[in-house]
Amino acid sequence: MIVTTQKPLDEVLDFVSPYSNILVVGCDGCTQPPRGLREAKTLSQLLELGGKLRNKSFNFKVATAAKQCDSYLTASMLKPLMEGVDTVLSLACGIGVQTIAELFPELPIFPAQDTQFMGAEEREAGTLEERCSACGDCLLALTGGICPVTRCAKGLLNGACGGARNGKCEMDPAKDCAWELIFQRLEKQGKLDLLKEFRPPRNYQLRAWRLTV
Amino acid sequence: MSEQVAERKVAVKLDEEYCSRCSICASLCPYEAIKRDVETGKTILDIEKCQVCGICYSACPARAIDVIYYDYGSLIKYLKRAKQEYDSDTLVIMCKGSAPDFMGIERLFGVAKFIPLSVPCVGRISEELFLEAMVMGINKICVLACEGNYCRFDRGSPITGRRIMAFDLLLEQLGYGKEAVTLKRNSLKVKVDTNLCIACGNCVFYCPYDAAKLESPGVVSFDLDCCRGCGLCVAMCPALALDLENWERERISTLISQLSAEMKPPKILVFRCQWAVFRPLDEKSVPNIRFIDLPCASRVDLSHILEAFQQGVDGVLVAACAEDDCKQERASGKAQHSVAVLRERLSQIGLQDRLHFCSVAPRHPEEFDNEVEQFSQQIKAIGSKERK
Repeated sequence: MIVTTQKPLDEVLDFVSPYSNILVVGCDGCTQPPRGLREAKTLSQLLELGGKLRNKSFNFKVATAAKQCDSYLTASMLKPLMEGVDTVLSLACGIGVQTIAELFPELPIFPAQDTQFMGAEEREAGTLEERCSACGDCLLALTGGICPVTRCAKGLLNGACGGARNGKCEMDPAKDCAWELIFQRLEKQGKLDLLKEFRPPRNYQLRAWRLTV
Repeated sequence: MSEQVAERKVAVKLDEEYCSRCSICASLCPYEAIKRDVETGKTILDIEKCQVCGICYSACPARAIDVIYYDYGSLIKYLKRAKQEYDSDTLVIMCKGSAPDFMGIERLFGVAKFIPLSVPCVGRISEELFLEAMVMGINKICVLACEGNYCRFDRGSPITGRRIMAFDLLLEQLGYGKEAVTLKRNSLKVKVDTNLCIACGNCVFYCPYDAAKLESPGVVSFDLDCCRGCGLCVAMCPALALDLENWERERISTLISQLSAEMKPPKILVFRCQWAVFRPLDEKSVPNIRFIDLPCASRVDLSHILEAFQQGVDGVLVAACAEDDCKQERASGKAQHSVAVLRERLSQIGLQDRLHFCSVAPRHPEEFDNEVEQFSQQIKAIGSKERK
């Protein structure tokens, strides 16, 4: 899913302070942690409290979209709510924000989140970690299901670089060396031969920016 | 240091002088807090293991156990007062676990006018009290216990069942009808609005009892036989699709509005787990402090805390059990985390000191009062002015 972090309340308050009638829209799609109806409500409550301290009062409408990145769904859901709205605060990733901005070009649309990465959630540990960079040329079949493009700090296709210490990356000691993980995984599967094969540089032309379905 | 510990007030005491060493209490205690010393034959109470269910108190034939909350004397005092106040000869004794207040009593027992008595576990009520109530002129006693499997004190509800059976026999011998005491069982469960469910799976992860199931494609479904009504899933649902029977979001919101309107500043609202703090029968009302009891601290809803602030409350205190004492599989730890997360967000607008989380236990009755007092002082010191 797409992982986002909440923007500091001060920054969001700066965005919305010039306006009075604000629509806060959550997203029930893939954003994680969830940014649905509850977060939309919570954020509006926090902004109201923060606004009071700035002697500013707002009128909030709170809603949530099934997936903000779908312009058809989002348009049909938002249109009936737009009357009297001065600005929209989106709780989605950057894609959702842009979708709404395109739908209502006359209105300022603000992001309430910073979009971080596409990641996996480890519930027990309460962590979210980046797993995919959307490179358009998936290598996972050859690397034991571990992505070196994303998880190797140098994005090496023919690792390891030799800089790892105790299995940790030399760029960030909190991070596992992706190529050591790949080695261990392939060793377990008896497929270390895969590492003997040289991988030419990725074909960047494979990465699309638009698809027609 | 050791002196201080010894002086700390405790909620349950065992008086060796009266103890006949029959060990009934030890055999009934759900928490192994009472043990018979094999060598000396003495009965020993380990207060740190005690959850103050009161089962031992109501079972001791020698009256050697003393309990602070809902002891026989204060229950009788309450009954005398309440009988006049409510002008009824029907008494309803209800476990807090089966409902937050007396909603649904009319439906369950078919009585509209009654004397309400809400206790943390009906297992603490002895036959003696039933008898005394009847002597007072009460001719119908309705007991609402939790369903056996969901008793927060494990044995309280089953023991009540056996006790009432025996009491019925006694009444029969005395020539009374069987209808004098009625026992019903009820447990509160989660409700899902499938129209709002976004199939995120949060409830599946958080439910301590594996009651929530999510299979794709589809929305969540609950096995209500597994649900113990803690409300953790309700507080964690990002889509506001879940609610808890008799503790509905709307009801708590209404209560918040009502209480914040009647309070005097500096207004302090306390959300408390009903197992962490046993509300005294004659709770003193302070003009600036109000309480909302929750089925478990994990039901504390961050939006309710914010609602309180929005309505002019100056400070919100959340009182929970320590994780080891939690009657809901350490759910209080989740509540602590949620409150910490909200505090961090409140710190961005300078309101963090107005929210406080504390762990208390009924075994140390002064603990909660001290927390409230300390928090009141803190809020007084900050004052209401910065929010005006």
